[in-house]
Amino acid sequence: MYLSVYVNNNIYKLRGPHFTGCRSREQETFRCWWSAGIFQNLTEPGALRVFYQTKNFLSEWQECPDYTRTVKNECYFNKTFTQIWTSYCIQLRSVRENITYDEACFTVENIVHPDPPIGLNWTLLNVSRSGLHFDVLVRWAPPPSADVQMGWMSLVYQVQYRVRNNSHWEMLDLESGTQQSIYGLHTDKEYEVRVRCKMSAFDNFGEFSDSIIVHVAQIPSKESTFPTTLVLIFGVIGVVILLVLLIFSQQQRLMVIFLPPIPAPKIKGIDPELLKNGKLDQLNSLLSSQDMYKPDFYHEDPWVEFIQLDLDDPAEKNESSDTQHLLGVSRSGSSHVLNFKSDDDSGRASCYDPEIPNPEDLASLLPGHSGRGDNHPLVSRSSSSIPDLGVQQTSEVEETPIQTQPAVPSWVNMDFYAQVSDFTPAGGVVLSPGQLNSCPEKKKEEENEKKIQFQLVSDGAYTSENTARQLSASVPPSPGPEQGYQTFPTQAVEGNLWNGEYLVSTSDSQTPYLLPEAPPAPILPPVSDYTVVQEVDAQHSLLLNPPSSQPAICPHSPNKHLPAMPTMPMGYLTPDLLGNLTP
Amino acid sequence: MNRLKVLQAWLWCVSLWPCWLSHAVPLDCKDETGSLTQCTSISQEKLLDRVIQHAELIYRVSEESCTLFEDMFIPYPLHALRNQGGNLCHTKPFPIPGSKSEIQQISDKWLLHSVLMLVQSWMEPLIYLQTTLSRYDDAPDALLNKTKWVSDKLLSLEQGVLVLIRKMLDEGILTSSSIFEHTLTPYNEQSPEVLESILRDYNLLICFKKDAHKMETFLKLLKCRQSNKLSCLSY
Repeated sequence: MYLSVYVNNNIYKLRGPHFTGCRSREQETFRCWWSAGIFQNLTEPGALRVFYQTKNFLSEWQECPDYTRTVKNECYFNKTFTQIWTSYCIQLRSVRENITYDEACFTVENIVHPDPPIGLNWTLLNVSRSGLHFDVLVRWAPPPSADVQMGWMSLVYQVQYRVRNNSHWEMLDLESGTQQSIYGLHTDKEYEVRVRCKMSAFDNFGEFSDSIIVHVAQIPSKESTFPTTLVLIFGVIGVVILLVLLIFSQQQRLMVIFLPPIPAPKIKGIDPELLKNGKLDQLNSLLSSQDMYKPDFYHEDPWVEFIQLDLDDPAEKNESSDTQHLLGVSRSGSSHVLNFKSDDDSGRASCYDPEIPNPEDLASLLPGHSGRGDNHPLVSRSSSSIPDLGVQQTSEVEETPIQTQPAVPSWVNMDFYAQVSDFTPAGGVVLSPGQLNSCPEKKKEEENEKKIQFQLVSDGAYTSENTARQLSASVPPSPGPEQGYQTFPTQAVEGNLWNGEYLVSTSDSQTPYLLPEAPPAPILPPVSDYTVVQEVDAQHSLLLNPPSSQPAICPHSPNKHLPAMPTMPMGYLTPDLLGNLTP
Repeated sequence: MNRLKVLQAWLWCVSLWPCWLSHAVPLDCKDETGSLTQCTSISQEKLLDRVIQHAELIYRVSEESCTLFEDMFIPYPLHALRNQGGNLCHTKPFPIPGSKSEIQQISDKWLLHSVLMLVQSWMEPLIYLQTTLSRYDDAPDALLNKTKWVSDKLLSLEQGVLVLIRKMLDEGILTSSSIFEHTLTPYNEQSPEVLESILRDYNLLICFKKDAHKMETFLKLLKCRQSNKLSCLSY
C-alpha cells in the first residue's frame, strides 16, 4: 500500500505494511521480514501475519510455520518447509482487518545469499626485480553452511582489494575455485582483501568476508643498484674489447696515421739491397746512370775534380792566358771543389745549391787553413776537358756571385795531369808543367806552363795582380797565350792574396821548352814526370804504369767529355777504388 | 492433427532408434585423423565428470539466454516473474521432490532416470523455441546462437546419461514416445497476442533454466555419492 505525499516539490511515498525481504543462506531454509510502515498501530506482534502458498500442487494458504521470537517481524521457514524449484508466494495480512497489505512470490534458489567464505589468507608469490611490485596468492574456504560438496550449491567467488583507507575497491573476475592470484601490488603499501560468493547462474551475492591486510616491506635498493653496476662494468668491458679489436684490425692504418714512416734514403731506380751486396761493376753501372749520386760520391773524394769543358767557344778559351786560366780555374775551382757535375751536364752551377761556394768554404781553402788541406784543386784535366772548363767557368762567372772573372781561362793548354814539383812552406803546391804530348793544340799551354811557375795555394790556384805581373815579367815574351796573362782576373778573394812566392822548378827542365811556333814536341821521354799508379800490391807499394801508356791518356777530342766517374779513367785511381783493391 | 502427432512420434522413435541398439552397437568416435573408429573406453568417473560439465554449461547458458530475452523483450515491471520460477512449466509424469532431504533420499537409479527424462523432455521445446525466436524482429544473435547451442549440447548430454545408465545401472533403456506426446501439446498452439507469446516464451526459458538446474543438481549429487558416500547422505 502506497501513499504519495507531495512536500516541497518532492514526492514521498509512504508505505504501509510490507515485506522488506526474504533470504536464504544455504538453500535449505529461508526467512522473510516485514515492516509495519507508517501504520504504527500495527506494530504489536500478531497484528500482521504471514501466509504462504507453494505453487506445487498446493493451493491453500498456510501461515508462517515459525515466527522468530528473537527477531521482530521475521518468519522462518526450516528445512521441511523449504523446497527448491518451487514457487512460493507469501502474503502479509492483517487478520483483524482481513486486509492483505503485501504479497511476494519467489523461488528459494532465487533468494539465496550465501554466507561469506571463511579462512581468507594470502601467500607471497614473488617480488619484482626492482623490488617495487609483488604478487600474492589469496586462498579461502567456502562457507560451511553451503553444501558444495554434494553439489547442492555451486558457488562462485569474487575477490576485492584496495589500498588501505582508499574508497575504491578493485574487483577481480569471478572465480569458481577457492584461490586467486593478485598481481601488481605495490610494496610499502597496505592492502585490504576481501571475498564474497554467490550461486553460479544467480545474481545474489552474499556478504563480504572479513578483510585481511596484505603488506610487503620494500627491500632496500641495494638490489637495484647491483644490476646497474653490473651493466656499467659489462658495458665498459665491452667497449674496451671493441676498441682493442678495432685497433688490432686497423693496426696498419693506425700506424701510418700516428707514426708516419720516415722516408728511408732511397734512390730512384736503385735497389738498396744491391747497394749493400752488389758487386763493384754493378754498382758502377748503376751509379753512372744516376744523376744524383755522383756529386756525393765526388764530394767524398777531394782528389777528384771532374770539370766539364764546353768547346763551343774555343775562341774565348784561347784569349785567356794560362795563368788566367789556371787562376780562373783555380778560382772557379774553389767553387768547383764543391761543384760536381755529371759529364752530360753543361756545367751549370745553378743545378746544385751546395755547390755554390760559401765564403767560409772559400776561407777554408786559403792558406793556413790546414783543415781543408786536402782539397787541393790541383788536378788538371785533360785538354779535352779544359775547353769545357772555360765555358763552364764563364757560365759560373755569370751565375755565381763570387766568380767575377770576365775572361775565360782555359785549361786547354793544360794537361790532364800536372805534376807536383814542390810544396811551399805555407802548404802550397807547386806544379810543374805537364809533359808534352802529341796534342798540338795544347802546345801553347805547355809552353806557358813551363815558363810560368805558379804556386797553387791550398784553397785554389790564383794569383794577385802583382804576382801576375811578376809572372808575366819573368816569362819571356811570347805571343798570344802569354797575353792571356795580362788579362788574368783581378779577383781578390777575401783579401787573401797569393803570397807571391813561387819557385822555379828546376825539374821543369825535364820537359823541353818549346816555342809556340815550334813543331809539336816529341813524345815524352821514357821517364815521365809522373806515372799512374796502376795498382797496389800486397806490400802496399805502388805499381806504376809504363810511360808508354801515357800518350794514350791524352784525350784526342776536346769535345770528349770525361768518362763518367764510375768508369775508371785509365791510370787513375780513386781512393775508394783503392780501398776496394786493398786485399 | 493426428497425422502430425503420428509423424512427431515417428520422428522421435527414429531419433531414439540408436538407443534401442545401444547394447549391440558401440558408439563411433572420430579420432584425430577424422576416421571413425571405435570409441576409446573411458572410466565411469570421467564420464560422470564430463556429463556434469555438460549439465553445468547448459545451465549457465540457459541462464544467459533468459537474461538476454528478459532485457530485450520483457518490460521491467514484469521482471519479477523471473523470481517466481516460471508458471505452468510443462508437467512431468512424476513429481520431483524439491527439498534437499527428499532429494538426498532418491536412489541413484531415480536420479539418473530423472535426468534422462528431463533431458528428453526438453528437446522438442528447444527446437520450438529456436523457431519462435527467429521470428522475433530484434532477437539478438547471441540469443539465437545460445539456444541452438543448448539444443546440440542436450543431445550429447542425453547420450552421456544413457551410457551412465547402462554402466551404473546395468540396464538398457527403452523409451516410449508416449511420454513426450503429452509434453509437446502445449507448444503447438500459436497465440495471437504478441505479449502473450512473448510471455510464454519467457516462461519457457525460465522453466528450462530451472530444469537445467535440476539436472545439474542431480548429477552432482550422484557424483558425490560415487566419491564419498558419507557426506552426501542426508543428516
